[in-house]
Formats: sequence, structure tokens, C-alpha cells
Amino acid sequence: MVNWFYIPLQGIINGLLTGALYALIGMGMALIFGVMRIVNFAHGAFLMMGMYATYVVFQATGVSPYYEFPLAGILLFFVGYATYMGLLRPIRGQVDFMVILLTMGLALILTDGAQLVFGADYHQINIPLLSRNIHLGSQISINAPWLVSFAIAMALAGALYWVVTHTMFGRAARAIAQNPYAAPLMGINVNRVQAVAFGIGSAAAGISGALLLPVFYLFPEVGNQFKLKSFVMVVLGGMGSIQGAAIAGLVLGVVESLTSLYWGNEWALAVDFVLFILVLSLKPSGIFGSQRA
Amino acid sequence: MRKWQLLIAAVFLLAALFVPLFGLTDYTLQILFRVFLFAALGLAWNLVGGYAGQLSLGHAAYFGVGAYGLALFSKLGISPWAAVLLGVVLAMICAAMIGSVSFRLRGPYFALCTIAFAEVLRLVAKNLPNVTGGDVGVQVPLLFAHSPVRSFYWSVVLLTAFALGLSAWIERSRFGYYLMAIREDQDTALSVGVNAARCKLWALLISAAITGLGGALYASMFLFIVPDQVLPMEISTEIAIVAMLGGAGTLIGPLVGSVLLESAAEIFKNVFKEANLLIYGVLIIVVVLFMPEGIVGTFTRKLALFKKAPAVPFAAPVPATIEAESERAALNE
Repeated sequence: MVNWFYIPLQGIINGLLTGALYALIGMGMALIFGVMRIVNFAHGAFLMMGMYATYVVFQATGVSPYYEFPLAGILLFFVGYATYMGLLRPIRGQVDFMVILLTMGLALILTDGAQLVFGADYHQINIPLLSRNIHLGSQISINAPWLVSFAIAMALAGALYWVVTHTMFGRAARAIAQNPYAAPLMGINVNRVQAVAFGIGSAAAGISGALLLPVFYLFPEVGNQFKLKSFVMVVLGGMGSIQGAAIAGLVLGVVESLTSLYWGNEWALAVDFVLFILVLSLKPSGIFGSQRA
Repeated sequence: MRKWQLLIAAVFLLAALFVPLFGLTDYTLQILFRVFLFAALGLAWNLVGGYAGQLSLGHAAYFGVGAYGLALFSKLGISPWAAVLLGVVLAMICAAMIGSVSFRLRGPYFALCTIAFAEVLRLVAKNLPNVTGGDVGVQVPLLFAHSPVRSFYWSVVLLTAFALGLSAWIERSRFGYYLMAIREDQDTALSVGVNAARCKLWALLISAAITGLGGALYASMFLFIVPDQVLPMEISTEIAIVAMLGGAGTLIGPLVGSVLLESAAEIFKNVFKEANLLIYGVLIIVVVLFMPEGIVGTFTRKLALFKKAPAVPFAAPVPATIEAESERAALNE
């Protein structure tokens, strides 16, 4: 009946459902950025790895990705941990250009590796849940898998937030983010905390990949767009603030959804970036951040 | 050392001018075109990313604007070379706009902001088919009617020579020292009266002009462009990778980087087929791990060990007082 109300409402709901996954991706990036002050260009490739890992397990066992996602998380935790120990630790203290370059090289290797192993084809999986829709009233409908992934992503985002705010690891990570020179003087093992943070951040990307698998196409370059979006989220939320990145993820999801609704899908990413530039030029500390850029 | 580098580079570029006379195939010349194109782009990037230390990952913006400038202005009936000029001016205007926003930011924020601008331009070019032709593409006029491949090759070698000469001059000019001061410590540079904002903007304008010209040459060589070809992030990162692996902030680093990396990329394409990007990624990681200052930067440092040592005073001066000692320690910090 009242379309001017229900159509945007449906858009906002869809946006929040996508946004929860963005939030998880962005939190992983923000954790890595906060603790290491580097922009991880391999974040998208890690997400892609999580997706392919889940795809392989799904093809072999047929178990729904919504049960398998911890596997992707564990795998990517170790990938991230090993990346830090093997590649990033040796060049710690070098110009951050070189660290960025290294993550770019790693992204190339992973993306091209996936292409070699799985081919450049698009893959999609089919689970029964995909055809289920939940109706709220007569106007609003929610696709069930999105609701499940929303719930899982939000729970994990909450858990990650708890870890960062309430555990010794989290306290150490925040200390390093605040002052990387003073933290080791307070007895914090910077190497170990950074390695674990890199692992957890990568695991968040991998789990997001697993949750995206049922509702998205899978191809080797799939991570690129999410990598770009995670840059946007990390800046919107205030660099290094993981709760900021989470909120920014939800905001981004809603903005994208409304943009696609009124202007067309092709403008969604452009609007992301315009928002990003506006925030950077008006409030460089991010919408929710307090730190000066 | 610097003189030798410059001399070797000059001889190399001079020799490069004669290469087409040896009856190479058009295909080989096209590869060499790419080598020198990225050398010129890397040298241009080096002014901003190397000397001024501002990691721009959005140089595809200027490249693409140069390319689209040529295509779109000549579609309006302007003669091709005038369109090239207008494209370069447009690239500089873009640089002024991008610079005025992004140079207020530092470190990773700056890098991300430049990416965002380049991506917005790419998406706008994709989504406005009435203006740019969108993903269908747009035709670009041929700039050289007579033996085009050779002419493009020569023009890009000359562009590289120009960029190299300009870098050499800037490196030893007051402006160049300002840029390096900003790279080393922007706050200190500001405190001694360097107008950091203006210096960085000028560096970016010069860089954008050369990059735009390179984009126009590239577009005209291919006769046809689409947004994903001239505005993607891959162009931005490739420019930065060439310059950084060659040695950011060194004079001939980008040239060395381009010659090695672009020819390596070509060889990898032929030898490793589909795995070429994988091997390219491994190459990047190996260089970063073992030559963290870039190829030229690391080599000059190693060679500097064998320079004739300057005469040292016979005995180290003994500090007169404890205050002097602590002052010296503070200076050494």
C-alpha cells in the first residue's frame, strides 16, 4: 500500500543484512591496521581463500557453509599467522611502502594461485536454505541465508569486540595501537600480539568469505571489491577502531542498498568512495574515531 | 656515483633510440614501448612517491584522464595534438583537486584517498556511457600516421628521457630538497619554513602532466580504450611497484625497475603462461624481503661501503662535561 515507506524499508533491511558481513570484513582489517599501522592489500585475497576452502569442503561433504565457517576461520588464522611470521616480521621497521608492496605481491600470488587450481570460472553452490524467504507482514521479505549470515556475523563481531576490550590480548593490542614504542616497554611481546592480531584479522576475512559463499558468485578476483570496501570501512570508522569499522560496515551496506535501489547497482561502489572522500576531507579521524589522521 | 648513474641512463636511452633501426618486429617494439612507458610513469610517480615520500596509489587517475582527454576532446573536433595538450591540462586540474584534498592526510590515509579518487573516476567513466562510451569504449585518434609503432616507441623513449632529465634537475634544485625534507619529516620541514602543501602540490602537478601524456600516448597506440584498461587500480599499483622496486627516491630507480619488471613480466607470460602473475608476485616479495630499499637504493648502499673513506681525526674528542655528553647523546638519538 504505502510504497514510499516499504520500499526504502526493504532497502534498509537488505542493506543491514549485507552490512553485517561487511562489518566482519572491516573489523578484521581494522584490527590489523590498528596493531600494525599497515594497510593489508591481501585482505581480499584472504576472503577469497576462505570462500574457496569452504567451497571445497562443501563439494566434498555437502555440509552447509553455515556449519563449516569455523574451518575457514581456523585455516585463515594460520595463514595470517604464518604470513606475519614469515613475511611481515622480517621487514618490520622498513618503510611502510614496502610492507604494502609485500601484501600486494601476496595478493597476486594467492589470486593467481586460485586461478591455477580452480580455473577462472564462476562457481555457485546450492543449498536448500536459499529458496526460503521469511515474510514480515505483506510487504517485507527476507531471504533466509542472509538472515543466518547476519546472525552469525553479528555474533562474531560481538565476540571480536569482547576479545579486544576484555582480554589480555585485546588490552595488549590496544596498547600497541595507542603507542607502539611504549607498549614493548610495558612488557608486551609486540611480535606475538601482532602475529595473533594478523591471524584473527585474516580469520575474520576468511569467515566472511565462508558466509558469503552461498549468496555470492565465487571466482579468483572476488576479493578485490571487498578489499576496496574494507578500506572504506576502516577509514569511515576511524582507522584502527574496530567498533567504528563495524558500524561503518552496516552504514556502508545500507548506503549501497539504497543507492542500488534508486540509482542502480553500478553506482553503489562509486557512492562508497565518494562517501569515503567526503569523510576523509571533512573529518579525517573518521565518523566514529577520535584519532587525528 | 650519481654522475655515473646519470651517464649510464643517458647512454642507455640514447641507445634505445636506435633500437627500432635493427628491424625488430612490431610486437617486440610494443613490449619495449611498454617498458619505456612505465619507466616514464615511474619517474613521474617518483617525484611524488619517491622524493616527497607521498605514497600515491591513484596515478591511474591522471593516466586515464590523459587518455580519455585525447579521445573525448578529439571527438569534439579538436585536432589530436591539441587534444593531447588539453588532456594533460585536464590531468593537472584533476591533480590539483585530488591533491588539495588528499595532501592534508598522511601515511596510509593519503594512499587510500588517492585510490578512492582513481576508483571514482573509473566508475564514473564506466557509468556514463553517453559521455565516455562506458564499457563499450571510445575510439582514440592515431597521433602518428607514418610508421606508427616506431614513432610511438620513440616518443615514449623521449618522454622517459625528459622525465629523467627533469628528475635530475629537481633532485638538485631547492624544490627537490624541499620535497626530500618533507619526506624525512614533514613537521620539521614546516617548522623551518618549507611550504609543504605547495611543494607537494607542484610535485603532483608535474607528475600528473607526465602521467597524462603517457596515458594519451598509450591510448593512441591502442586506438581504442575502455575504463577498465586505462583507469584501473592495476595501473596505479604497477606504476608504484615499478618505481618502488627500482628504488623510490633514487634517480634512475624507476627506469631500472621498469626495464627489469616489465621485461620479466613479458618473459613470465611466455614461460609460465597462466602462472605468470604468481611468479610476478613471488618476484615482488623476494625483492621486498632482500632489497628493502629497492634495487638501486640497496645497490648504491652496498657500493658505498667500498668508497674511499674520508680522513678521520686521530682521536675522538673527549666531552668536557657531563652536560656535553648528554647533549651529544640526545643529538645521536
